[in-house]
Amino acid sequence: MIEFLAKKLEWLDVNYWFYIFNDLSLFYIIIPFFILELIRYAYLKRLSKDLVLDSIANILTFGGFFLIEIILGILAITKVYYWVYNNISLPHLELNWATIICCVLLADFAYYWEHRTMHRIGIGWATHTVHHSSPHFNMSVAYRFGPLDAIMPIVFSLPIVMLGFDPILVLLSEVFVQVFQTLLHTEIIGKLTKPIEFIFNTPSHHRVHHGSNRQYWDKNYAGILIIWDRMLGTFEPEKEKVVYGISQPINSVNPIVVFFHGISRFVKKLGEIKGFSNKLLAFVKPPDWMPKQ
Amino acid sequence: MKNSTLVFRSLGIIIFLAGLAHLFSFGVEISDDNPVPTQETNSAPVEESEAATPSETPTATSANDPETDFLIDKWQVSYKTEDYNGAIIYDIKKEDKTFNAYLHQYVDQMGYAVNAEGDKVLTVTKFNGRKGKGIYTITYEGKQYEVACKIARVNENTFNLSYDYYGYADVETWKRH
Repeated sequence: MIEFLAKKLEWLDVNYWFYIFNDLSLFYIIIPFFILELIRYAYLKRLSKDLVLDSIANILTFGGFFLIEIILGILAITKVYYWVYNNISLPHLELNWATIICCVLLADFAYYWEHRTMHRIGIGWATHTVHHSSPHFNMSVAYRFGPLDAIMPIVFSLPIVMLGFDPILVLLSEVFVQVFQTLLHTEIIGKLTKPIEFIFNTPSHHRVHHGSNRQYWDKNYAGILIIWDRMLGTFEPEKEKVVYGISQPINSVNPIVVFFHGISRFVKKLGEIKGFSNKLLAFVKPPDWMPKQ
Repeated sequence: MKNSTLVFRSLGIIIFLAGLAHLFSFGVEISDDNPVPTQETNSAPVEESEAATPSETPTATSANDPETDFLIDKWQVSYKTEDYNGAIIYDIKKEDKTFNAYLHQYVDQMGYAVNAEGDKVLTVTKFNGRKGKGIYTITYEGKQYEVACKIARVNENTFNLSYDYYGYADVETWKRH
């Protein structure tokens, strides 16, 4: 077993397996599952114009996010990641099963903190609120991103590169976590068996995360493993029926309104805050923070 | 939950996972920890030495592997023992996907070289470009012994060959000639 975990792997093989899960899953699981969800909506007589337009808006916001991600990704990977990897990292780790598993788990843990930060600081919520603003919950919501959603992952994945992991492996692991997360955006799957619900993030746990019910706020940040939430005090089980969305609904399916509403609300809030230092504090203080005036 | 608890738990998780990855990259030997001598011979003639076959099936490399093929070259090892004081140059060749080292030259302290008869002294049975193992022929008090050895790459031009034969242990530094 130890020899198996330590056995050196070829990049070609590793890329192949990540390609099957990260890239091809869109075609063999995500799109078919989304079609199944639409059929279910139709069967339950919940397939409305609003839901269809909301889903289209979700996909369009992903287009905007993806464009920013590509630009940032190229810059980050070719410049920042490799500079860090070559100059301020621990000894470079070789490619074997143990390093891949550890890298995915570290990427998952980094995702937890990145996600938690997105919820708990003003500028993070200004962009991440887009993802939570849909009143629906299906696979298309997983693609609903804000304009700055691509920045925070870079900040949180750099320490993994500093630990000696290859930047490309870190990137592939991050996408792996993101794809796993995508599969959780569904109402079709109820609660799974107790051991799975205890260890892994599941659709039930993630429904809670998207809930606007007060007790569900800022809970279940996990990507793959829900044990991070259990260990760090942010776990909440699904009990009350989840009401999706945010506390101040946007009531719009216009993709531009959806994509920029968080930023525009944040800019408006900055305008209401007096004093330069207070304005700066608003970036890092919790989203509901306002200075005492 | 207190912020200090969050910090310590998070650091614990990061140290555990990163430590595990480093352990499997640098701490785990891919070969057995206890090398087993495979054969003992008495002052074997050249033919006998060359005929000796390793106990393991070679699994080292593919036909052309840039990560391991750096071994193919002449390598110099310095000795300062009662038996021999000088350097020996070995010639490592890749034969049927296996790396074999042959005696090439003896070089004395003054730098005079004498060609050797080309005895095979090392068969690399497993090598991943960083670590490996093999069968090494050592001569001790006139007797030849075939012992299991480990190979560890230091850099492109240096690797260490180590063995431990019933307490008779040594680490040889092979430098590209």
